[in-house]
Amino acid sequence: MTSLLRRRTRSEPTDAPVISMADVGMTYPNGKVALADVNVSIPSGDFVFLVGPSGAGKSTFIRLLIREQLPTHGHVRVAGRDLLRMRRGQVPGLRRRIGIVFQDFRLLPNKTVAENVAFALDVTGVSGATTRRRVPKLLSLVGLQDHAHHLPTQLSGGEQQRTAIARALVHDPAILIADEPTGNLDPVTSWEIIQLLIQINQLGTTVLMATHNQEVVNAMRRRVLALEGGHLVRDEAAAAYEREY
Amino acid sequence: MPFVRFIGFSVVRAWQGFWRNAMMSLAATATVILMLVLLAALFIVISGLNAGLEFIESKVAVTARLEDNLTEQRVERLIAEVEAMPGVATVEYVSPEEAMDRLEASYREIGRELDLGDPDSPITLFASLEITLSDPDASADVSTALSQHGAVERVLTKQAEYDTLLGIIDVIRTVGIVGIGLVGLTVLFMIINTIRIAVYSRANEIEIMRLVGASDSFIRWPFILEGILCGLIGAVITIFLVAAVWDPIQPAMVQVFQMPTAVSTRFLTTLSLLLLAVGLGVGAIGAWISVRSYLAAAR
Repeated sequence: MTSLLRRRTRSEPTDAPVISMADVGMTYPNGKVALADVNVSIPSGDFVFLVGPSGAGKSTFIRLLIREQLPTHGHVRVAGRDLLRMRRGQVPGLRRRIGIVFQDFRLLPNKTVAENVAFALDVTGVSGATTRRRVPKLLSLVGLQDHAHHLPTQLSGGEQQRTAIARALVHDPAILIADEPTGNLDPVTSWEIIQLLIQINQLGTTVLMATHNQEVVNAMRRRVLALEGGHLVRDEAAAAYEREY
Repeated sequence: MPFVRFIGFSVVRAWQGFWRNAMMSLAATATVILMLVLLAALFIVISGLNAGLEFIESKVAVTARLEDNLTEQRVERLIAEVEAMPGVATVEYVSPEEAMDRLEASYREIGRELDLGDPDSPITLFASLEITLSDPDASADVSTALSQHGAVERVLTKQAEYDTLLGIIDVIRTVGIVGIGLVGLTVLFMIINTIRIAVYSRANEIEIMRLVGASDSFIRWPFILEGILCGLIGAVITIFLVAAVWDPIQPAMVQVFQMPTAVSTRFLTTLSLLLLAVGLGVGAIGAWISVRSYLAAAR
């Protein structure tokens, strides 16, 4: 496991922010304000929950981090890169520094577990030898070494999410963004996924997890960013969920 | 090595994509074949007519019909005068008897017999000089000089036939280019549509590729190669079709245009290269337009 994430072996957050947003605002062409004056700094190695009701701006927050959108104003820096000054050709490089998983897994149904993970390496020009070496290690990391040749339809929800996590880790990212990763899972499986994310975080990868799962947030007592109506209304370390969204 | 991996990845994905979307890909390929067959037909006809044009240029350019009862010496003097004119290549004397033989032969060729009327009052044709030119532009000067000569009854040139043929070529070329342009546009839209369907059917894959950091080239080129594949397959099939009908075309051309239309031996190679270039070009441009608009929308 350490050989996969060997560049970051510390488990405590450091002072250097891996994500920073300064006065970030995002207004859509129809006038809807998605984010307003958001200031956030997330140090490398942190584990942060992003909470808020539907429409609070969580998705926009994530889209800005992976540069799917640019803010209307303000500055966004991710993994040492200024996203506003970044050229289009540099975006793939940024995205290899960020792993992302979704509630709906987004696996390719006609590819096996191993092929889904290998696909992320193939499409970025990684050699076949590296892919053959790396994929089994990643599957072992997420506990799917015995399911390498199964299709997604032959897997449980938890196993599908593990596959998505393995795929997100192929480039040894500095940040792992999990957008409602337990949204489609039962409580037991949700905890297994959370344990896996904690394990990944302990190896030094910064984890940002958007969630509605009150139980998980309260049990973890990690930093919580709460968005409401596009405003950052709470940013507390070791916090609880506080209210029902 | 990364470039080789990129090429390998793109080619394999293009091949898979072509067959995954087989019906649309084959329909696009069929329209490419249609366009290239029309292009080949136009190219063959225009080339044949151009060969005919060259043939007319190289043959008798000016015919001088001579007055009756010229003495042999006078005819020889006239031949010497004409041979001395600038731009003249050869001068051939055609006697009335020889002219009659030619006329009868031309009737026999088309299966008819020349009816000369009453054998007691035979028809006599004019003697003439058939003049070929080394410089086709000298036609006007030679004609003017001959028409002012006392021994010449009338001057006939091939200029009118030449102009008529040029006119036909222009019309065929214009109609052909417009037709090929319209079919070309249809092909372009077919390929744009085919690739667009392929792109949309693989939207999930593209989304994942973008999220895991695939460059635009890795996303774009498999689709462009898929378009090129439609063009390539279309061009190769068309080349085989043209090669298959090549031998029957030659006599048909002679029959249709009433002139030798033989073209150089390199003609098939040139035509094949043209078909290949147009097929690949249309495939690549159509696919590029399709993918470009999709990627521009999904940044």
